[in-house]
Amino acid sequence: MFLKTFKKTVGTALVATLGLGTAAYAEYPEKPITLVIPLGAGGSHDLNARVITSIIPTYLNQAMIVRLSPGAGGQKGTQEVANAAADGYTLLFSHNYIDMLQQHVENLPYDPNADFVPVARVNYAPIAVVVRGDSEYNTFEDLINAAKADPGGINMAHSGNWGALFVPAAQIMKATEASFNLVPFQGGGPAMQALLSGDAEVTMGFPSTLSALLDAGKVKILATAGEERIYDDVPSFAELNIGGDVGFMHRVVLAPAGTPDDVLEKLAEAFTALQEDKTYKNMMGRLGENTDYISGGEYQAMREGQNAAYKDLVDSITK
Amino acid sequence: MIEHFAEGALMAFSLDTILMIIVGLFSGMLVGALPGFTTLMAMAILLPLSFFLDPLVGIPFLLGVYKGGIFGGSIPAILVSMPGTGAAVATSIDGYKLTQKGESRKALDMALYASVIGDTFSDVFTILMIFPIALLVMQFGPPELFAVLLMSLVIIVVTSGSNPLKGLVMMLFGLWLAQIGTDPMGGVERFTFGIFDLKSGIPLLPMLMGVFALPEIVYAVMRNEKVGGFAKLVGARLSMAEFKRCIPTIRRSTFIGTAIGIVPGLGQVVAAMMGYSAAKNASSHPETFGQGEVEGVAAAEAANNAVNGPTLVPLLTLGIPGDNVTAILLGAFVAQGLRPGPQLFEEQGAIVFAILVAMVLANLMFIVIGYLSIPFFARIVTIKTGLLVPIVIMFAFAGAYVFRSDTTDILMLVGFGLFGLLARAAKFDVMPMVMGFILGGPLEYAFGQTVAMAGNSPISFMFTERLGMLAVLIATPLIGYALWRRMKTATN
Repeated sequence: MFLKTFKKTVGTALVATLGLGTAAYAEYPEKPITLVIPLGAGGSHDLNARVITSIIPTYLNQAMIVRLSPGAGGQKGTQEVANAAADGYTLLFSHNYIDMLQQHVENLPYDPNADFVPVARVNYAPIAVVVRGDSEYNTFEDLINAAKADPGGINMAHSGNWGALFVPAAQIMKATEASFNLVPFQGGGPAMQALLSGDAEVTMGFPSTLSALLDAGKVKILATAGEERIYDDVPSFAELNIGGDVGFMHRVVLAPAGTPDDVLEKLAEAFTALQEDKTYKNMMGRLGENTDYISGGEYQAMREGQNAAYKDLVDSITK
Repeated sequence: MIEHFAEGALMAFSLDTILMIIVGLFSGMLVGALPGFTTLMAMAILLPLSFFLDPLVGIPFLLGVYKGGIFGGSIPAILVSMPGTGAAVATSIDGYKLTQKGESRKALDMALYASVIGDTFSDVFTILMIFPIALLVMQFGPPELFAVLLMSLVIIVVTSGSNPLKGLVMMLFGLWLAQIGTDPMGGVERFTFGIFDLKSGIPLLPMLMGVFALPEIVYAVMRNEKVGGFAKLVGARLSMAEFKRCIPTIRRSTFIGTAIGIVPGLGQVVAAMMGYSAAKNASSHPETFGQGEVEGVAAAEAANNAVNGPTLVPLLTLGIPGDNVTAILLGAFVAQGLRPGPQLFEEQGAIVFAILVAMVLANLMFIVIGYLSIPFFARIVTIKTGLLVPIVIMFAFAGAYVFRSDTTDILMLVGFGLFGLLARAAKFDVMPMVMGFILGGPLEYAFGQTVAMAGNSPISFMFTERLGMLAVLIATPLIGYALWRRMKTATN
């Protein structure tokens, strides 16, 4: 009896020790994870990533290190992650335009559809159509009618070709059959400055960056992306018959395809837990960003939709 | 506004604020002095830290990092001819020559005083004139930027050296190098020969390290001296007489730098070069520039620091960040519940003035920190050649790599190093090439924007809507010719 108990105890202890030992050895993550950003220092991805990486170690028990790898419109950093080992130690922090649009306008050294799986959509930023406070356009219809009356006569400032302001502008042009003269600027800030100084009549911006100018009456917002209204008296894109995933910049974490399922699960758990973290919410709120999380699997369906929509868009513009 | 100012000034004089400014200045200086690390990276990494600090601690801390970083960049530029940013190129021209003459301490002193004076005056000017500047900023769009960039290139060529033709050849080469990569307007690949690594263009840092630092290292080795391949002595501190002699130059450069800071998109590189060119041109002995003229260091440093004040204006008055540094500051402001924009001064005037006063305080404290640390930095060049040369080589390679974590950049570094040696043997100055390369991208972009803005009516656009651009374009050849004549008579 005693012997039996002894055997059992030792046996359990042994199994437990070995089991734990193996688990501790194999359990991901056992070293710091690198988060590659294919964009430059100081941009919104950089700042968002600083917040994420300062909090997520609590849930992963490992550090997450930001590595900026800008260049070739985001392709350089994306390629690095595409070529990295699919072990969950190299992840990409990108957005939908780099991720899904570029394949239709350039020859990429990777295949975004086959080479990546989404881990999480961390948050998103909806775009708003903006004119000066003293502009003659008071509604979205005014603007569209004016653009139809004078095709290419209205300057629309954007932040670079196929970027976060250009794509929604092109999608609006496609949906309304109006035509703007798209003038590129080096970022959303300079584009807004061009609007205020009169170099452009219309631009786009994210509501988080607009509130001060809006309250001072320097700008008017004519429409905002999505189904729901963001401002009570400003129509949403859906109300204006611009449907679908238009005008959202999705900030998304991607892993190289072939990353083991248990690793992806572990990451998903950490990112889900992150959304509930008070400090995280607080810091994101301070940056003016939401924490509207979507799981990797769900986002994959959205990616496929984006892929098709962007292909249509590019075909209709470049034809 | 006056009571806001008084209240703000009192708020800035707190122990926490002052202590964190000092920490910021010191860490910024160290990061700025390390090739390959930029002030921008340091600020992005430190930003979340500022979220947890009081606004009047967190924001002055970041400003300290920024200011410390700019001066930090001039340390390797002066000591081992290793400018880590475009803004330090002009400083290294005479700064490194002074080091070679055994006067590194004097060069660093001058750089410190000139930067602090330039920065302080532009900050004070910005505080007093913030609303007029805000109106003025709005007068400059891409067409004006294009015209001013073109004028800057012309001025750099005609004042570059004894032979402007050689300068022109090098600048055109630099402009061509800037074309390599993906065309910023149309997205077409140019001169990449299908090589993916060239798609994002040639990186600036390996080029700077290659053409400026590597040849100096080779020459230091060839001199074959046991001690001080770069310099034997650190020399005396800057004397009062020398400082006084540079006052008109500092004044001129501060003015030029502040004016350039008002034009969105020009920035420190242009300011430093214009300040330097103007000082050389105004001097009664332009031939001493480039041979270790302490005035040259003063001209470049005062000008590139004087840019700082006005570049904050669009951020403070409109909430619009003009570049990545101001974008980070915007993040810090917003995180603290301050909303930069038209109402910032009404809503939170006291805090804003406190921050502006803290900027001026940071400058004053930097004089002390810089003064005390310069003797240590200056002595680096007197380390035994056998030890110093490998260290410098390591920093050059590590710096080139760490900037983008890309091994291609090491090849670029070596390639530009060889090119730098060849150019030197053939007596071609690489500086116009580097400037052509740095300004070529913005020039082309501004031109593309101008064309896009003009649309179908370029003639009426130029002659009725954009008279400012037209005026600068007409003035450019005249100014170029006048400067060329002056340089010719002065050097003969």
